[in-house]
Amino acid sequence: MSADRSFEELQRELEEIVTRLERGDVPVDEAIGLFRRGEELYAACVERLQGAELRVEELTPEDPRT
Amino acid sequence: MAKVEHILYGERKVYTVSAFNRGIGMHLGRLPTIWVEGEVTELRHNRAWANVFLTLKDPKTGATLAVTIARRIYDRLELGLDEGESVQVAGRAELFEQKAELAFRATTIERIGLGGHLLALEQLKRALAREGLFAADRKRRLPRVPRAVGILTGADAAARGDLVSTIAARFPATKVVLVETRVQGKGAAAAIVAALAGLAGHPEVDVIVLSRGGGSFEDLLPFSDEAVVRAVAASPVPVVSAVGHEQDTPLCDLAADVRAATPTAAATLVVPSLLETEAALTATRRRLELAVQAQLERTRSRLDRQRERLRSAPRLLLERRRASLDHAGARLQALSPLATLGRGYAIVRSGAEAVREAAVLKTGDTLDIQLASGSVDARVEEIRP
Repeated sequence: MSADRSFEELQRELEEIVTRLERGDVPVDEAIGLFRRGEELYAACVERLQGAELRVEELTPEDPRT
Repeated sequence: MAKVEHILYGERKVYTVSAFNRGIGMHLGRLPTIWVEGEVTELRHNRAWANVFLTLKDPKTGATLAVTIARRIYDRLELGLDEGESVQVAGRAELFEQKAELAFRATTIERIGLGGHLLALEQLKRALAREGLFAADRKRRLPRVPRAVGILTGADAAARGDLVSTIAARFPATKVVLVETRVQGKGAAAAIVAALAGLAGHPEVDVIVLSRGGGSFEDLLPFSDEAVVRAVAASPVPVVSAVGHEQDTPLCDLAADVRAATPTAAATLVVPSLLETEAALTATRRRLELAVQAQLERTRSRLDRQRERLRSAPRLLLERRRASLDHAGARLQALSPLATLGRGYAIVRSGAEAVREAAVLKTGDTLDIQLASGSVDARVEEIRP
């Protein structure tokens, strides 16, 4: 669901969901849907953090003199 | 450092020559780093020596100062100095204790004659500032968690190592995109601009660190080159400048979104701390749970109230019906003529009709008089209409 989105985007969506739920004006069916989505986002964020190792990619720019 | 010992001959304190020299050496060692300028004379270097020796001469008075600089540093400066040139040397006084010879231990040398460079740089700085290139409102916020950190670096392994290892320690779930490029000398500015464009064009790079270790004023010049400064300012991705040492201010520092004093500081700026991020995530999840629980709790108690109302509805209805029935009964009771008879009134009928006027009767008519209890037949004897 979120492989191509940045950690920051996932975290921001999670925060928005929590803020909406905290306002308390969401119908209950929608609230449960939002909660499930929030749990997924949390799991995706944690997965990104855990077990990850620094990846290094070397880039070779075109030499402007050539 | 060893304490300087003296010998006592009665009241007299006496130092050995070594102790004296060491004491003076220690004193000199406490002096701060300063800049000294003069003309180079007697420049001596040799592949086999660890140091390069030169003498600085004050052109006005002829006063001289012996200067020593590590060959490793001297070679890296790539100055190509000749005797007779004017230089500024940074360093501190040092004593060769064996001979009590004073020397100046240099950490860097710069050729004077940079005056032209400095002026041009100052003019460029003012022009770019007027254009608003360094304005505070152009500075962008760095992403909290970049998908990838772009690093532009010279062949300086130390600065790059510091950056990469600090990023790895702070936030291992990071991707680093490295470009090693020429950062000093001819063609460096163009190479830096090309490397920047390469990093900014990378689909995952969300922030770029310009990293370059310390160097002489001339070494750092490419980072004040107009094309580089403009490229930094125009970068579609926020740029952190970690160029040179604390005291250096290449113009790219001013154009960058953030300036970092060291590669380690830059690493700390571009990625968050893993521990803090995890703590924040856990707290957010707790809020998520609490919020949904509170919502369900509210819904449940509203349901409970509705069920209570639903249950009591039939009983209420019955009670209301009974009450209205009772009311109707009472009203009926009040209207009943029987109640009037109970108070001593009577109904007088002639035939089927109730009699309301004396005039409709004739003497001798038969009357039926109904009382509250029982009835009586009577005859009319006299009429008084």
